[in-house]
Amino acid sequence: MLLAASALLLGIPAAATASAASATTGTGWIRLAHLSPNTPAVDVYLYSFGNSSAEIVLHHVAYGTVSPYEAVTAGDYSVAMRTSGASPSSQPVLSTSVTVKADHAYTVAGLGPESGLRLQVLDDQLTTPSGKSVIRVIQASLKQQTVKFTCGGQTIVPKATFGSVSAYQAIPANTWTMQAIGSGTTATGRWTMAPGTVHTMVVLDGTNGLEIVNLEDAAGAGQPPAGGVTTGFGGTAGHGPGSPAPWLALIGAGALITLTGGFRLRRHGLRRQLTTGS
Amino acid sequence: MPNRKPAAIVFAAGLVVIVAGSVGLLLTRHPTPALRPVAAGVAALPAPTGPIAAPPQSAQSAPVASPVSLTIPLIGVKTQLITLGLTVGGALQVPSSTSVAGWYTGSPRPGAVGSAIIVGHIDSLSGPGVFFRLSELRRGDDAYVKRADGTTVEFRVTSVQTYLKDHFPTQTVYGPTPDAELRLITCGGAFDPATGHYLSNIVVYATEVSGTPR
Repeated sequence: MLLAASALLLGIPAAATASAASATTGTGWIRLAHLSPNTPAVDVYLYSFGNSSAEIVLHHVAYGTVSPYEAVTAGDYSVAMRTSGASPSSQPVLSTSVTVKADHAYTVAGLGPESGLRLQVLDDQLTTPSGKSVIRVIQASLKQQTVKFTCGGQTIVPKATFGSVSAYQAIPANTWTMQAIGSGTTATGRWTMAPGTVHTMVVLDGTNGLEIVNLEDAAGAGQPPAGGVTTGFGGTAGHGPGSPAPWLALIGAGALITLTGGFRLRRHGLRRQLTTGS
Repeated sequence: MPNRKPAAIVFAAGLVVIVAGSVGLLLTRHPTPALRPVAAGVAALPAPTGPIAAPPQSAQSAPVASPVSLTIPLIGVKTQLITLGLTVGGALQVPSSTSVAGWYTGSPRPGAVGSAIIVGHIDSLSGPGVFFRLSELRRGDDAYVKRADGTTVEFRVTSVQTYLKDHFPTQTVYGPTPDAELRLITCGGAFDPATGHYLSNIVVYATEVSGTPR
């Protein structure tokens, strides 16, 4: 009982660190995307706020390119786009600020037509319902202003307009045929959507009609195990002092024997006194 | 006179027993300390040789081979990886042997996007297990996973956490991540002799790095 209680006490600092677990790592993720069909290739710069030397530079990023995620320290950043090959000190074509929270992921995407190019910061989801996959659709086709997006024949987005980003929605984990249906043209792809995975489906202007790109935003255990693991038998754990009971019993027995001996001695002494007195 | 001597002997014997009992009591009041490794600070094993696979270069996922072995040079871990599923109760299975680690097949493969989960024992009933020294790892230490196609992925530790099992952050540990990560899990914290279990789990978080020399 006492042992368990002290163990619980010892455990308290561990619990305290647990709640701040991810805060201690303090990193988030960011990726950069060029999804503006008629905008030429660009150089993309990521600056930590107030720092003039770029943390990440991506050169010659063409339409349809999405970078892998980069882990960055949580904080404020700015993203700047320059014409490919332009001097790093030149005025950017476009820039935006983004606040990266710990354990959150972001896509900073150049969206829209060149004339109305904008940098949009998208919050990327890092959770799925247990056993499911989630998808969202970015419509980046200029040739098809409106596209219907389906998965296994079910409509995911009925009317995705150019430059729009849908919300994430859960779908059953499975291998699915997905279609981007424009007017007079359809792109079809077949992908396995594993449980616990998050996807962004990007509809692009391909060389011939539409094209679908499947981005895996995040992946985890499809069926997250319940709780922690039981991976120890205690062979190297410390043990408390053994029970004092046997020793106390021994001392008690000794006391009894001593008393018996002492009693007999005393009785003997008394008899002798009586004998010598008469 | 005839009875006096035995009585004295009984008395003396009683005193001896009391002294013996007291000495025994005093000598056994100290707890047995836990067997814990002394941090050596020197790699106990060399890092694997050969090329290190590059982390995913595009946001489009490419399939990777399944993991076969794990090496953590600093703490002398070199183990085959068995495959683990879930128990009937939905908890993570653990290796039946305390000397090998296992990969949860329901998690992403090491080197693919996501959090790959590897579990090993801290100890057996009698001594250290494969992840006995896991808690010694610190941010910046390396772990290597070899895959069935012969490629090796390198991970670097970003954080080491201890969680009470009663407050295990399932989402943080098992939830999706946008890059290729590794979770190494074992037991730790206080041991409860009443239940025969440790009260906490130690979780090592690591992220894939490219094979560039440090």
